[in-house]
Amino acid sequence: MTDRPPWAPDDDPPPFLGTWPRVYAAVVIYLALLIVLFSLFSRSFSPGAGAGG
Amino acid sequence: MSPIDWAVLVLWLLFTIFYGLYKARGKATTESYLLAGKTMPWYAMGLSIMATQASAITFISTTGQSYVDGMRFVQFYFGLPLAMVVLSLTAVPLFHRAKVYTAYEYLEQRFDRKTRFLVSAVFLLQRGLGAGLALYAPAVVLSIVLGWPETVTTVVMGTLVIAYTTLGGIKAVTWSDVQQMVVIFAGLLVAVVMAVISLPAQVSFMDAIYLAGAANKLNAVVTQFDWDDRYNLWSGLIGGAFLAMAYFGTDQSQVQRYLTGRSIAQSRLSLIFNAVAKIPMQFFILFIGTMVFVFFNFERPPVLFQPADHKKIQSHAAYGELDSRFQAAYDQRKQAALEYLNARRNGDLAGQRAPLGAYRAAQERIVDARAEAARLAGGTNDTNYIFLSFVINYLPAGVVGLIIAVIFAAAMSTISGEINSLATVTIMDLYRPIKASQAADSHLLWASRAATVFWGLYAVLFAGVGRRLGSLIEAVNIVGSLFYGGMLGMFVLAFFFPAVRARGAFAGVLAGEAAIFYCFLFTKISFLWYNVIGCLVVIAVALLISGASRPALSVARR
Repeated sequence: MTDRPPWAPDDDPPPFLGTWPRVYAAVVIYLALLIVLFSLFSRSFSPGAGAGG
Repeated sequence: MSPIDWAVLVLWLLFTIFYGLYKARGKATTESYLLAGKTMPWYAMGLSIMATQASAITFISTTGQSYVDGMRFVQFYFGLPLAMVVLSLTAVPLFHRAKVYTAYEYLEQRFDRKTRFLVSAVFLLQRGLGAGLALYAPAVVLSIVLGWPETVTTVVMGTLVIAYTTLGGIKAVTWSDVQQMVVIFAGLLVAVVMAVISLPAQVSFMDAIYLAGAANKLNAVVTQFDWDDRYNLWSGLIGGAFLAMAYFGTDQSQVQRYLTGRSIAQSRLSLIFNAVAKIPMQFFILFIGTMVFVFFNFERPPVLFQPADHKKIQSHAAYGELDSRFQAAYDQRKQAALEYLNARRNGDLAGQRAPLGAYRAAQERIVDARAEAARLAGGTNDTNYIFLSFVINYLPAGVVGLIIAVIFAAAMSTISGEINSLATVTIMDLYRPIKASQAADSHLLWASRAATVFWGLYAVLFAGVGRRLGSLIEAVNIVGSLFYGGMLGMFVLAFFFPAVRARGAFAGVLAGEAAIFYCFLFTKISFLWYNVIGCLVVIAVALLISGASRPALSVARR
């Protein structure tokens, strides 16, 4: 279980941002930005609470 | 459908099947058939993961759900990027280095064979049912378009998918998925453009967004916490993350996609691609549903979108009065919508209040009338028919064929991936260990093909279950949530708790499943929390029985 198979010689670095931790951090920041943007979108176009359905 | 639509659909169907088979040509071995010989690039895996998850249900049901309930369903996906990060850190390197065909094979290495069999059996049970539901959705499309019974359309769809999945294996499935996602993205773009340009001339794109907001359809972020509320920010971030971790980390239909990667980095990139692309894609699909809602503010919709149910209630004694009420509410809503938009354009804040109130009141009367019609029809749920009704009745020739092709693309990519993974688990986790441990590669290849046919037929038979469930997208997620919590708990134990042994893990997963079924049967807790509860119960009981108390992360770094 601990030996490396031939098809995965090593844990290659990502093609952008240099290291995997930076890629993961970028994903989390991206998620936070999306939630803020969606929230702003909802509030900008919704004049108070309304009827569902 | 017009001849142009038929031409678009048939040509696309033929192309997608032969394209997949062409990419999968060459001498097959069991490894090439089930794992594509570990040669897949990240973009193919990423698109295939996305295609497998984005079933026809996604397009048929999500758009309808947005029409009825607004865009808050997008929150369901908020936990997905977090789950992708966790899985890139843990599951991807562990599975790759363990040299496994399936995620459950790893459980035997970590615990014992009994545990592997238990989790494999749970997967076969729930994913088999899921495949049935995924097959039912496009059968609904065909039954509306062709006027055929749903049983006939289910069999026709099932036969097509079984044929190319059985012949080409995972390579055909993955490369077909890539091509299918291209069609899906193109179709989505066309659908939203068509929904907007189908609006009356005096209603602009911005007007449409304001009207959707006035009807509270743009509720993409709900910050209020409520255990019973299915979709809010917290259930999405926490419950959604657990569900996504379970789905992408323990469900073989997803794990098998990134096991085909040529390296750990390639597999990780495929998950990161999903982390970035999934939420905007779902937002876009839900937005189409809201635009269809606005479209039906100016074009009278049927009381019920399900054609057979609508026909059925028309002969009911109460229908005449109900339809008059619906018509009156529709007229009032349309009038109020135009007045509200006029006042908004003129910057008349005070003048917006009255039409806004009238608009919302009329909307409530429409909702009430639809609910009453649904009761008259025997408690029907027409959510899955809303988008199709719009496509078939209002979009031009050619575009209808393209949208129907999109729904087929989504359906075929999901079902092919599911029956391919069901066959893999059947052969690699059950058949080979029990009956064929010394079998030749050619025998396992033949058995894998036979298992693919078997699971395809099973999906066709269980497609009938879909008829008795409401919104299909929710049904699939609820079925998944009944089992994912236990499976996720098992893998968390395997990854992070080296002191836990097989006996504790086995007892833990049984206790976790008992807790989930208790919540499902006796409480009103939203299904998104089942994964969290189930996973935590599995860990707690396993730790208790194993007498272990200190988690260790070292296993993940092996």
